[in-house]
Amino acid sequence: MLTSYLIKSLGQKNPHPSALVLNIGITCAFIFLVILFAENILNIQIQSIGERLVNQGLFENLVNTFYGLIFLGISSYWFATFKEMYFYKQYRRRNTYFITMSVFIALSAISNLLFRGEEYEFIYNTFFIISIILISFNSIKISWIAFISKKEKISLLILSMIISALFILNLLNNGKTDFNGTVLINFSPTVYQFFNLILLYGGIYFVILFFTTLFHIPTAEAYDRKANEVSSLQYFSKLITQVLDIEELAETITDITTKVSSADAAWIVMKQNGNTKILANKNIALVDADLINQFLLESGICDNITETKICSLQKFINKSLLSEKFSSIAISPLRSYNEVKGYLIAARKNELIFYEEDKTAINTFSDYASVAIENSLLLEQSIEKERLEKELDVAREIQKKILPAKDPEFQYLSVSSVFIPAFEVGGDYYDFFEISKNKFGFIIADVSGKGISAAFIMAEVKGIFSSLSRMIESPGDILIKANEILQGTLSKKNFVSALYGMIDFEKEVLHFARAGHCPALLVRDNSVETFKPSGIGLGLTDNTLFRNHLEEIKIDLKQNDTLVFYTDGITEAKNIEFEDFGEQRFADILLKYSNESVNKIANEVIKEVTLFSRNHTQYDDITLVILKWSKKNNIDGVKEWQNSTPQLKSRVL
Amino acid sequence: MAEFNTSIKEQGAVSIINLKGYLDAHTAPILENNFVDLIDKNRFQIVVDFKDLAYISSAGLGVFMAYIEKIRESNGDIKLAGMNNKVYNIFDLLGFPLLYEIFNSESEAVQKFTEKK
Repeated sequence: MLTSYLIKSLGQKNPHPSALVLNIGITCAFIFLVILFAENILNIQIQSIGERLVNQGLFENLVNTFYGLIFLGISSYWFATFKEMYFYKQYRRRNTYFITMSVFIALSAISNLLFRGEEYEFIYNTFFIISIILISFNSIKISWIAFISKKEKISLLILSMIISALFILNLLNNGKTDFNGTVLINFSPTVYQFFNLILLYGGIYFVILFFTTLFHIPTAEAYDRKANEVSSLQYFSKLITQVLDIEELAETITDITTKVSSADAAWIVMKQNGNTKILANKNIALVDADLINQFLLESGICDNITETKICSLQKFINKSLLSEKFSSIAISPLRSYNEVKGYLIAARKNELIFYEEDKTAINTFSDYASVAIENSLLLEQSIEKERLEKELDVAREIQKKILPAKDPEFQYLSVSSVFIPAFEVGGDYYDFFEISKNKFGFIIADVSGKGISAAFIMAEVKGIFSSLSRMIESPGDILIKANEILQGTLSKKNFVSALYGMIDFEKEVLHFARAGHCPALLVRDNSVETFKPSGIGLGLTDNTLFRNHLEEIKIDLKQNDTLVFYTDGITEAKNIEFEDFGEQRFADILLKYSNESVNKIANEVIKEVTLFSRNHTQYDDITLVILKWSKKNNIDGVKEWQNSTPQLKSRVL
Repeated sequence: MAEFNTSIKEQGAVSIINLKGYLDAHTAPILENNFVDLIDKNRFQIVVDFKDLAYISSAGLGVFMAYIEKIRESNGDIKLAGMNNKVYNIFDLLGFPLLYEIFNSESEAVQKFTEKK
């Protein structure tokens, strides 16, 4: 069993020196026991068994040989192990020293066999002394101690003390006159000498190891910390692979921070819309982290910090509210583009405090963390942006299909419409309905909200008005019905502003009603008249209130009446100073071009709005619908339709 | 885009939300959170002060609609105060004066709450 264990431990590639030391310790203790009881056991065994044998001498020889081989084996094993430890963590190969030593140990062992006479004693002595000198010299090379942790060093200290004592005891019990010595000398003086030299090597080695370890212990902690700093560099590479998930990344960062800074707890707090948000917390309750954040952020400690700062929690008034006794804090800014986006905070508790030396490790690591978080946020943003753009593409597509493809054409009414979508679909909707031969309905509406949700509401609104316009004539009644439907389907925060109008070609009148929409404008006789009948937006209120406040207006049309309907995208178009285009500018242009064709008027308005808001993003959809009545009235006021049947010009498809 | 933020102060049973900047689809969630917080705390008497508000979009208006029902069911109200002309016109166009009490100043709105008792 022991041998299989030995083989296994030797078979390991690059075994840790601590493990080697332990193996030596076990074998050394084993040998110590063997030497101690060998005389009794061996003699009794030989005698008891030997009596029953014919050839006693042969048996005794066999036992002795076996015994000697054990010692040869174990000393070889030790020698191999010493060699292993000698070369462990040696950066420069010092083969020559070790080989020279091995050669002299061999020479010394052999000389013990050859030169036993008095006159040659000096040769044997010379080899022996040189061996001891070389052994001592090589024993000093124990650089591997520096690489083991403090905990391992302490156990090594105890082990090396015991093992060195065992080696020395074994050496003392193995004199030429001792039982063990005589057996081995009988077996082979060379083996005896080799065994002794290895025992000596072990004794010297472990005594030196003991003292070296002893002197290393005070600096062990500093070494551990340095090692941590180095490993924080390795952690950095770990961070890079995790940028895909900001929360996972934040967790890894807090986890590593506690390791790197030997902190009890760590957390990340990010600034967001004037508030702060804890991104991840490790070994600390959120409540505690919040309390400490408040203290840190409000006390002004964190103003303009550029690197890790250590602060004590002594002045923290709410310290008693903490569920754990945190005592010292190291706070590091997380920056991107020279702006502090958040903080990485590490805390120690139970009166343990952070020292200036701890700062370097945390600071280095927080720099890495900044970079990683920054990358992660940027990535998230660009993914979100792409998703949003896709969504907006869909919304624009829907809007395009919902809006009329062409303006209708009639004998006495010219129609022009312009629609300019905003980047984020604004929810403008307009439509024309040929109700009957003599009636033409139209709607202009603005759905609250933007993007895909607005596009869906637009689709719903289109469906409602297309069907209602066929069933109901009165614009007021259509809006009331539309409100009833939308009130039930729209979510509370959504609503639709709309203006529905209906022109009766026979009666030459316009009826219209407004539900929260921009007013209608009438350009007549060189002045602009604004019609703003009362009416609440669709979907805002129940039908009773809506109906009670809905007003329908009737306008008798005169030749060259220009009717203008629009959405707030025009009047609220902004210039670089954030001024609105406004109603006045709008009215001025309408007046200026009132004698032109509807297309010309529409183009001029759009040109002016575009000019006004150049260098400024268009936030909302722009919709403009212009109608112009061109039928001449009779001088006596009797309408022409009584004499001639007006005809709807067929729509050009 | 322009900034938006809110601040809340308590005056007896009345909570006053002060709006500042540009309230649109992007900034509306900030105000939504304010309402949710107040409702959680059972504070249903709310005055919204518009005096520092420069602009409101339709999505901004939607925020008031989202919570008014719940607040009125709890015997509370949202009263609006201190709007500049531009902001008032937007509210007016949609018929909000028929749905909400709108006051010239925050103190008048607060007074209306206390009078009622």
